[in-house]
Amino acid sequence: MRLGVLTGGGDCPGLNAAIRAVVRRGVRGHGIEFMGFQDGWKGVLDDACEPLGVPETRGILHRGGTILGSSSTDPIRAEDGPDRVRATLERHVLDGLVVIGGEGTLKSVVPLAERGVRVVGIPKTIDNDVAGTDTTIGFTTAAQLATDAVDRLHSTAESHDRVMLVEVMGRHAGWIAVHAGMAGGADAILIPEQPFDIDEVSEHLRRRHAGGRSFSIVVVAEGAAPIEGMLELPEAPLDENGFPRLGGLASWLAPGFEERTGFATRVTILGHLQRGGSPVASDRVLATRFGIAAADLAAAGGWGRMVALYGRDIRDVRIADTVGLRNLVPIELYRDAAVFFG
Amino acid sequence: MRIGILTGGGDVPGLNACIKAVTNRAVADGHEVVGIRRGWAGLLELDPSDPDGAATHTLKLDPEVVRTIDRTGGTILHTSRTNPAKVRPADEPDFLKAGRVKDEARDHTQHVLRVLDQVGIDALAPIGGDDTLSFALRLHDEGVPVVAIPKTMDNDVHGTDYCIGFSTAVTRTVIFIHQLRTSAGSHERLAVVEVFGRYSGETSLVSAYLSGMDRAIISEVPFDVEKLATLLMDDKRKNPSRYAMTTISEGAHFVGGEMVMGGTADAYGHRKLGGIGAQTGEALKEITGEGIIHQQVGYLMRSGSPDALDLMVATNYAVMAADLLLEGTHGRLVALRNGTYVNVPVEEVRRGVKRVDVDALYDTDEYRPKIRHVDGKPMFLY
Repeated sequence: MRLGVLTGGGDCPGLNAAIRAVVRRGVRGHGIEFMGFQDGWKGVLDDACEPLGVPETRGILHRGGTILGSSSTDPIRAEDGPDRVRATLERHVLDGLVVIGGEGTLKSVVPLAERGVRVVGIPKTIDNDVAGTDTTIGFTTAAQLATDAVDRLHSTAESHDRVMLVEVMGRHAGWIAVHAGMAGGADAILIPEQPFDIDEVSEHLRRRHAGGRSFSIVVVAEGAAPIEGMLELPEAPLDENGFPRLGGLASWLAPGFEERTGFATRVTILGHLQRGGSPVASDRVLATRFGIAAADLAAAGGWGRMVALYGRDIRDVRIADTVGLRNLVPIELYRDAAVFFG
Repeated sequence: MRIGILTGGGDVPGLNACIKAVTNRAVADGHEVVGIRRGWAGLLELDPSDPDGAATHTLKLDPEVVRTIDRTGGTILHTSRTNPAKVRPADEPDFLKAGRVKDEARDHTQHVLRVLDQVGIDALAPIGGDDTLSFALRLHDEGVPVVAIPKTMDNDVHGTDYCIGFSTAVTRTVIFIHQLRTSAGSHERLAVVEVFGRYSGETSLVSAYLSGMDRAIISEVPFDVEKLATLLMDDKRKNPSRYAMTTISEGAHFVGGEMVMGGTADAYGHRKLGGIGAQTGEALKEITGEGIIHQQVGYLMRSGSPDALDLMVATNYAVMAADLLLEGTHGRLVALRNGTYVNVPVEEVRRGVKRVDVDALYDTDEYRPKIRHVDGKPMFLY
């Protein structure tokens, strides 16, 4: 069997661990030969690939980013995309593709399958919003980096008697915000799943300060939303695929908090610092288990499916069943975090 | 003797270690140490007619209180940018408002002298940057025994080669730059890393030098963004991983352009800078068509615990300041010069902020550090 491997969407820690595991298991366990495509679907469209063997994947387990490069290119939207994908696969005599990606990268799989392109998926995204799996590769490291930042910002917030808004990623899910907020002891957490009332949050910060605490840390998910009709947010610009480009909400909210609380309010936007660096142990383990399972799945002909974490087990689910769904923060988890607000 | 200690300006890692060492050194010799809360604001806001005034604005320090504080960043005394010689209406406590007619900044130095007298502070060890220490100089001129301790993450106080906080700020920035490399490389982008440092380019220059950045834009040298785009595209082509990165000072500006200000100036002429990185990113995107990562390191630069060098300098400055005060030497700034701990006249802070020696350290054509002839230079190069 011959397979192509690609990583798509935003980079995240653990991608290299997954690539390494796919190749190691595929080569040693199933005698599969691999081609690595550069820059996600773009490499498949443009036929940019190189043989990927065990030697190429040595020494990358602990490294962030992806040795294959990545892009947000959508093969369905590209001109003659599906035909070009098929042509590339035929040219290199590939039986199918192992696609490591988030919601955006994986959703192309379904229409491609209708055109005869065979794929197995591995879910990755720091946002943890892929449906069908408990956790995705990269999330735990991103939540850890955000927690470290919240920890460190305590000293500067406290020294200046300030409110510090810490904006984290997560797109339309509040996973990073809730985890970093809970682990870092945030005084409030704003997430998309629980629309917030800025007056209420401000009142609650005022109460906290009146009770003798002289600073507060508020973790703001980039996709957090005010209660409908309460606060008009600026329209986010769209990216090349028509998704809103989030980021900057905290800067926009800061004057509102300052006005309502009377406390100097400062903003830290973690941005790409959440993606960088080395994956934490549990992400390396998850990526490795996912990679092994994906090689096994491809060898068994499980096309159109992706590997998934279910409790402690690795299973696989039909990708078509997950498209259009999102894994969101359950209210119970948010309520647990809210016990410590203020 | 009762020594007053306070921290002013932006917090940096190492302040608590400094407070601890002053306390332990002075108490060991049978003296008292009083921590003044929130910098000079603690003295300004202390109402002599309020029986709780001293308890609200000061904190008695002893070895038990300071035992564990050196392990964390920030400052247990808290800080402010208040300068009692230039008090805005908004910062003026009600009991001092009498006689105010205009919105201009007023001088409440006489009030501060009365408060020092009432609290019984015999000598002061203020820890701060140029603005905080300029009021220390004022008090020195008024006859108050003062030994000043320089701190800023910009390393921009005259008279010393080193200020507490600089090393940790650069250490953190270098770590963050390397963490961003994986994202920049995976997506083959141009990355613009914006660093704090107000009008001084040291943090941008030194972080770039130590992390091997392709380019560094500094406050001192206006830059042509078209040229920067050409240089970065060239760097990207030559990089096997196909990305390029530049640091940029928050106080940098385009050729012929103004410094980009987000927000307004405070009473001390400190403006909240920021925004040049985003603008540069937008411009680079327009010119090159490349994907851009714009990241502000911001408050994360000075957050968290101090590194070994900041612990070393903070502790030694503290011991030296306490030694000087206890032996009756005043009007000094503790300092590092050519690798040696020394003390210099506190009047040195009158020279304002120290800036990058552009001729010696920066290539204005290539937009990057140009470090040559290190022999004979101080440890931090300027």
